Amino acid sequence: MWVFHLNSGSCNGCDIEVLDALTPYFDVERFGIKLVASPRHADVVLFTGPITRETLPKVVRALRAMPRPRMVLAIGSCAVGGGIWHDSYNVIGGYPALEKILKKEGIVIDKVVFVPGCPARPEAIIYGVLVMLGVVEPKSKREVYKVESK
Amino acid sequence: MVKLKFVKLITVARKAGTVTRRYPFEGPLLTEEFRGEVRLDPEKCIGCGACTIICPPNALTLHDEGEVRVIRYFVGRCIFCGMCAEVCPTQAITITKEFELAAPTTEQLLRDLVHERVKCRICGKPFLPAKLLKAANSDVPGSENYIDICPECRIKIGLKSILEHKLG
Amino acid sequence: MIDKHGEEQIERSSEEALAYVESLIKEKLADIPIKVYRAAGENIIVEVPREYLRNVAKVVHDDLDAYVRTCAGCDEREVAGIYAVYHILGLDNYGANVVIKVPVPEDDVKVPTIADIAPGAGWCELEFRDLVGIDLSGRPTHRLVLPDDWPDGLYPLRRDVPYGIRPPPVKREEVSLIEIERPGIPVGPYHPALHEPEYFELYVEGETVVDVRYRGFHIHRGIEKLGESKLTYKQIPFIAERICGICGFVHSCCYVMAVEKAAGIDVPERADYIRTIVLEVERIHSHLLWLGVACHVLGYDAGFMHTWRIREKVMALAEYLTGSRKTYGINIIGGVRKDINKEKVPKVLEVLDYVEKGTKNLADVLFSVPEVVKRLTGTGKLYREEARKLSVVGPVARASGLYRDVRKDYPYLAYRDATFKVPLYTEGDNLSRTLVRVEEIFESISIIRQLLDRMPGGDIKVEEYEIPLGRVATASAEAPRGEDIHFLITGRGRPYRWKVRAPTYQNIPALRAMLRDQQLADAPITIASIDPCFSCTDRLVVVEVSGGRVQRVRRINLVRLVGGGRRW
Repeated sequence: MWVFHLNSGSCNGCDIEVLDALTPYFDVERFGIKLVASPRHADVVLFTGPITRETLPKVVRALRAMPRPRMVLAIGSCAVGGGIWHDSYNVIGGYPALEKILKKEGIVIDKVVFVPGCPARPEAIIYGVLVMLGVVEPKSKREVYKVESK
Repeated sequence: MVKLKFVKLITVARKAGTVTRRYPFEGPLLTEEFRGEVRLDPEKCIGCGACTIICPPNALTLHDEGEVRVIRYFVGRCIFCGMCAEVCPTQAITITKEFELAAPTTEQLLRDLVHERVKCRICGKPFLPAKLLKAANSDVPGSENYIDICPECRIKIGLKSILEHKLG
Repeated sequence: MIDKHGEEQIERSSEEALAYVESLIKEKLADIPIKVYRAAGENIIVEVPREYLRNVAKVVHDDLDAYVRTCAGCDEREVAGIYAVYHILGLDNYGANVVIKVPVPEDDVKVPTIADIAPGAGWCELEFRDLVGIDLSGRPTHRLVLPDDWPDGLYPLRRDVPYGIRPPPVKREEVSLIEIERPGIPVGPYHPALHEPEYFELYVEGETVVDVRYRGFHIHRGIEKLGESKLTYKQIPFIAERICGICGFVHSCCYVMAVEKAAGIDVPERADYIRTIVLEVERIHSHLLWLGVACHVLGYDAGFMHTWRIREKVMALAEYLTGSRKTYGINIIGGVRKDINKEKVPKVLEVLDYVEKGTKNLADVLFSVPEVVKRLTGTGKLYREEARKLSVVGPVARASGLYRDVRKDYPYLAYRDATFKVPLYTEGDNLSRTLVRVEEIFESISIIRQLLDRMPGGDIKVEEYEIPLGRVATASAEAPRGEDIHFLITGRGRPYRWKVRAPTYQNIPALRAMLRDQQLADAPITIASIDPCFSCTDRLVVVEVSGGRVQRVRRINLVRLVGGGRRW
């Protein structure tokens, strides 16, 4: 699986954890994951960062350059929900806000997996990759608890 | 032969050996201090919202809608700082070591705690969860008289009683 | 205390030093209508009307040999009916800050530039022009920080602009950066390559680089505005930590130190020790990270893997001490949240031994690989005079013969209680910068060992404190990349003005000097050697210029490096 690393304005915490996944301790190359230099060669985009205004057109262009099927792994609390600055003036929000813009531009993303964490551990990223490949079922489920009013 | 000193790397590599932890077949490289997902305990939570005030990224939010108060935890925006656990007055929040949180939709990353709100005895509008009222007023004498009246009605009653008192 | 020349010096940042500096200023500026008074910590405020700003700047920067730390613009209309510009210059030898405060009237929002006197202030002046809207007279200006499609006239850091404002994008004429730098070079139709996420434009003639243009600030997230309008004092340490994912703890420490200084909070000594230990752990991890990346850029991938293998243990140690591999989250105003108790000490020492041995072996191997040494020697030279003029910081300064280290010049936290030396080299090339960093790893290990030995008992935080309004304070720390400084004015419930200046910000303008007349093949390692907080993509645009015309523009893939730029 060939991955392309796309940073849309993150603090680098998740990015160095992505790089860390390549190092001897976690070694994702044993799963057949290779880092490529251009989105045109990529199957999966490792997306980090809340998207800033400045990087928005570039992100859209990079995602458009990917051939179908397009898969996105949104890593870190910034990419999943906008993070600690989700409502700042220069920040679009995380991947969910980007999805609306992509729909308008007509770019279809076939599969997306969200990996929370701040920064996301290399093991959490590997778990995210496995969920994307369908090897494991995601553990996280929507939960609603009604509290006893006694 | 000093030029070939870099060949020493081979000895360094051999001594280091294989350090790869074959996650997920082997366990992760965790220590006991790790802060993972937080868990809200429905038994202990009183719905005060202190956690929602301190949470820096607003991952914990308070919604008063209809007859309920919802405390919503969005794991996706959480920064795993653990401040909510420190601030909770009833220690209802515990920090687990869960980090395997990947999910295909953000819906799956929401956890809700739903409190029923007490309805005002006078005007019928719901205002605060019962547990919160009890916890806040537990050692205030005489509070049973007005604990089920909403703040607006309380003001009205208070004013009325002051006026009655003044006018004799 | 004895300084490096063996001469007796005044103790830095002491009452004696500050009083001396104050008297010096009053003496040298006797004929200018200024007001001099002390603020919290080591700050001396000099209030001067804007007509005399340049005179004062000249005296302080040239005669007193200060260097530019940062400058901040502030909207003080609701408090005093004026805007204010604060230029912060530091005198290393005394450990004192001279804060030049310039009031700017509401109806004529302009201030003279000091960028020709003090080139280190070049960027931060453009920054307050972008964000607060204070115009500059006497220099060419262009947009620096805000994105290209941001509308004119909307200044985010003014108090009446809400933090969540999302103005619609404004289409602008595609102005090529080449036009700005070298007017008269025809570029022709808009070149598609120039608009891609590239961060450095190198202008080459043949294989030699003649100029470099940096285009950054893609990571501007509005942190200062959030800190001043949405978040409260208690929440800001967490956002400060995420300014940079590699040296985040330094930012968090600087912020809490600034608040504690402004409010006069007495932090228990044990908390200071814990903060210092974690800071040094972060320094070790950052330098190992850089070493690995530098190896990778040079093509020595085996070095990359081995360096990061050693670094992994440091990350696990950080998690053991603080609860998270990065973005530790243990700083609060008044102390720290987690203790380093006796049970943890053996594990720490074990990891330090491992790192020390591993780094020694690795450095041995690395500097015996002929390609590595040859490529590092003599490339990317930065001469001492240029370094001093541009006010560079950190290992870049120390490799060019400037003995500058915040831990020694403006001592903070527990550094007074540890003895360590600061490596100094004079060649100013890539090899010196590498050697400085490798030596700093060993010094950090020694500092941690000393501090663990001497750790005092007691509390780790102060529970009750009050933060008075309107106090000005600065706090600085030595991040792995250089000096980081935060400037703070306290407000009600949250800071009134919070300004952050990260170290790479100060070092990037030095790249022009370093890359000039260098071979193109050496450019990646030179850019890497200032240790930019790498976050951006990995492309470099090379513009071939010959005889005043652009011949060709091509893109080069530079792995995993490039950029840095403003993190907030």
